[in-house]
Amino acid sequence: MPLLEVNGITAGYGDSEILRDVSMTVEAGEIVSIIGPNGAGKSTLMKSVFGLLHPKTGSIRFDGHDITHREPYQIVELGMCYVPQVANVFTELTVEENLEMGAFLLREASLEDRKARIYDLFPRLKERRRQRAGKMSGGERQMVAMGAALMLDPKLVLMDEPSAGLSPVMVSMIFERIAEINRNDGPAMLIVEQNAKLSLAMSSRGYVLAAGENRFEGTGPGLLNDPEVGRLYLGG
Amino acid sequence: MTTDNSTIATGDEPPAQERVSREGATGNSRWPLYIAIIAIFVLFWVFGAINGKSTTTMLNLTVEGIMLGGILALGSVGLTLVYGVLKFSNFAHGDMMTIGAFVAFALMQVLPGYEAIGSFSFGWGLLLAMILAAPVVAALSLGVDFALFRPLRRRGASVVLLTMASLAAMFFLRSIIYLIWGADYHFYYQGRANPAMQLPFGITIQADKLFILVLALLMVGLVWVLLERTRMGKAMRATANNPDLAQVRGINTERVIQWTWIIAGSLAALGGVMYGLASQVRPEMGFVLLLPLFAGTILGGIGSPVGAFIGAMIIGVAFQLSSAFIDPTYGPGVAFMLMILVLIVRPMGLFTMGGD
Amino acid sequence: MDSAQLARGSFFILPLFLLGLMVIPGSRLVKVVLSIIAAFVITWLLATSLNAGVFTYVASFSTMAMIYAILSLGLNSQWGMSGHVNFGIAAFFSIGAFTSALVTTTMPEGVLASYSAQAFGLGMPYLVGILVAGIVSAILGWLVAIPVLRLRADFLAIATLGIAEIIRLIFQNERWLANGPQPLRGIPQPWLCLVKQPNCSWEPQWLVDWLSPLGARDYSFVNFLIVAVLLAVIYLLLERISNSPWGRMQRAIRDEEQSAAMSGKAVTYFRIQSFVIGSFIMGVGGAIYASYMVAIDYSHFLPLYATFIIWVMLMLGGSGNNKGAILGAFVIWFVWTGTETMIDWLAPALRLISDDLPSRGAYLRWMLVAVMLGAIVLFRPQGILKERKRVSDFMPRAKAGK
Repeated sequence: MPLLEVNGITAGYGDSEILRDVSMTVEAGEIVSIIGPNGAGKSTLMKSVFGLLHPKTGSIRFDGHDITHREPYQIVELGMCYVPQVANVFTELTVEENLEMGAFLLREASLEDRKARIYDLFPRLKERRRQRAGKMSGGERQMVAMGAALMLDPKLVLMDEPSAGLSPVMVSMIFERIAEINRNDGPAMLIVEQNAKLSLAMSSRGYVLAAGENRFEGTGPGLLNDPEVGRLYLGG
Repeated sequence: MTTDNSTIATGDEPPAQERVSREGATGNSRWPLYIAIIAIFVLFWVFGAINGKSTTTMLNLTVEGIMLGGILALGSVGLTLVYGVLKFSNFAHGDMMTIGAFVAFALMQVLPGYEAIGSFSFGWGLLLAMILAAPVVAALSLGVDFALFRPLRRRGASVVLLTMASLAAMFFLRSIIYLIWGADYHFYYQGRANPAMQLPFGITIQADKLFILVLALLMVGLVWVLLERTRMGKAMRATANNPDLAQVRGINTERVIQWTWIIAGSLAALGGVMYGLASQVRPEMGFVLLLPLFAGTILGGIGSPVGAFIGAMIIGVAFQLSSAFIDPTYGPGVAFMLMILVLIVRPMGLFTMGGD
Repeated sequence: MDSAQLARGSFFILPLFLLGLMVIPGSRLVKVVLSIIAAFVITWLLATSLNAGVFTYVASFSTMAMIYAILSLGLNSQWGMSGHVNFGIAAFFSIGAFTSALVTTTMPEGVLASYSAQAFGLGMPYLVGILVAGIVSAILGWLVAIPVLRLRADFLAIATLGIAEIIRLIFQNERWLANGPQPLRGIPQPWLCLVKQPNCSWEPQWLVDWLSPLGARDYSFVNFLIVAVLLAVIYLLLERISNSPWGRMQRAIRDEEQSAAMSGKAVTYFRIQSFVIGSFIMGVGGAIYASYMVAIDYSHFLPLYATFIIWVMLMLGGSGNNKGAILGAFVIWFVWTGTETMIDWLAPALRLISDDLPSRGAYLRWMLVAVMLGAIVLFRPQGILKERKRVSDFMPRAKAGK
């Protein structure tokens, strides 16, 4: 049974339908990319999976639970975390507090071990842990956001455009970290990316969304080498 | 059926644009505001001197102002928390203070401890009544939230609708006060003397007012510790800062909102009792405070408890100092002018929190 | 048939005709014909079925409701058209009332001067009083709008609440200005001479004969006619404005539809304009109120009567809809005056709960109105009559972007 199973969902805001009959799966431990042009509904799919938007039809199952109509805080409890594209850190809180909020659901008195693990992954955050997240650069914010999402040891991490607005150096660094996190029994990753080539290259599988519908699916390398996908969605 | 691309784009990522424009706006410096406030105090002091007030009188008015600031702070800290987390101006806050004052008044009639403690004018009974009034007002504000604000929140109502709902709540609460206690004035201790103590520099002050200040300091300190050190406090700041992300992080924002009301309601009750002790208990008492409360909150920077405390102090002192040269009835007018000044010079106030 | 009742009834014909034009659907000709018929029939029914006392009550009730309708229309051009949250209607209402009182009265003389003070008394005509009241109120609105309108909507709410309190404090404390805490009396009533000797100089003989059965206590009917005509004029002007390109621009800005295409400065300028127009109308409402009451003081402009109830009227009637604003004023004023009698009936029941309660029955009405506003906001924020040609609701579109 897949870890995440999206079955023919239709979703949108108000009367508009942005997603139509979209299905996909994520197996435990794999990296899956969703690519597609602007406005294809990639972010909407993420939000529906995470309960920020409830689909009108279809169902979503995660780790054996039906989460179609659950609220985000209940979904987090099941072991899914989400890194939004924008506004993904609490700008008024320090780096350390941001990490603590990532583990809000744990009532443990001490989060030191968990924080230490995140600091190992992103040493830069340790140096700056008393700094307000709002004063940090885009790349550092992305690290804070990823770190906060990893605090709970999730089974699945959703990442919305992790490379958006970052410098090329920072982009490759963030993708290295994503791969590193995923290795050795790490969480599965579902990534929505503009930078489709980079993201497919490290994915085990990928889906192409266009105009709110499933268009192609396949393995990461398979999609990368597919001439039609290349021409339409990978810029030649 | 085809979907318009622009609609999807708006659906997917409007926060990016909003954020940029808001952050751009905070580049404003605080200095003009500091200078304006200091200039106003100097000016008030000079006006007082021109009106033949001695330095001792002005000093005493300043001290009185700090005490009034303590009362205002108990209200404005709660107001600012509600604003920070729920994002609307709660016009019912003054009337929550009034209810606190009246509930304590009613409780005092059945509680022992009428005799005065030391040089205070109040006895244990009042303190006990105040402590018991806090959960009553907290429960009441939770009730109003459940019946009125929560359904509006759920359907994503605009800030103006929430503000209007709070106006309805304000008149609702006041009608309850009038129905239960009538329009009369009451005193916690009818006709009890409250002699002033002599301090250096010719300052005279009643022990009660010192108590008010200490209580306000203690409560603001407590709120600060709560916000900075506890899990729920940090979650409150997180929710104020970015409610969507708070949900994403697994924070039950409804729970956070409930705690916000509990704290705001309890502080309002304490503030109401203290105001009742310093003047008298009457149905319009909270409404009279509403304008100074908003002025202090805006001056301090909406959403910032420490800012609300300092803002309340500044408003309190300005309120009292101005009475040296204009009719004290116009105190709210002075508070209002200061508020307008802040809105012109630096709308985000001295400190900022929330609003990401 | 009583000639006095017919004379009274004659004041109802024009207002009813105007009402008919407003509510009867169909082509222009159908409207006019049906309105004329309806006006005469209803007038005749009223004049024959009611006794003089009830008829007078209907006239004065409707006059007050129409004054509230004017205030509600003023609020509608701020809130309905542009989304301004004005929690200080009392400020504009009272400044209009006191301004027109000062403009139309004459300075007290002789014994009167020793116990009634006012800054000036110009003895000007009614319409001048109305106009000056509107202008002064508009200037106040402009002064409030400049620092606050570019900020969040609820800052305007706070600021207007503040200005209303301060203006009330001024009229309460400054005796030299408008007799301070004491009422300012003797505000002239226009065309009082129609029903009181000596007759108006311009009055033709047939009118003198027709109105001869009436006395000074029938003035309510004259006032009713005047206020109805003023209300009709204001309504027509607002409908014009609201359907003009300017009005569409206001709604577009309110709904944030074109704001991106305009500079921030131009948007603020537009928003200030609609606030000032609303303030003007509220000032006019105040002027009409002052003359209706003859004597006014600060206590007439407490937040409940002078701000809150007007919000309930507009929200119930329908924000953004001028007909709704008028309808809401009539409904709420009816509920408000009607419940007064109802609470008197309830007195024995209230006494069972507490001995003090019957004397506090008036506050049950506060509660009722507060609950009504809460319920409207919760269940029907668009009011009874929806805004026409509406692009979007006040409710944001399904939390877009979340």
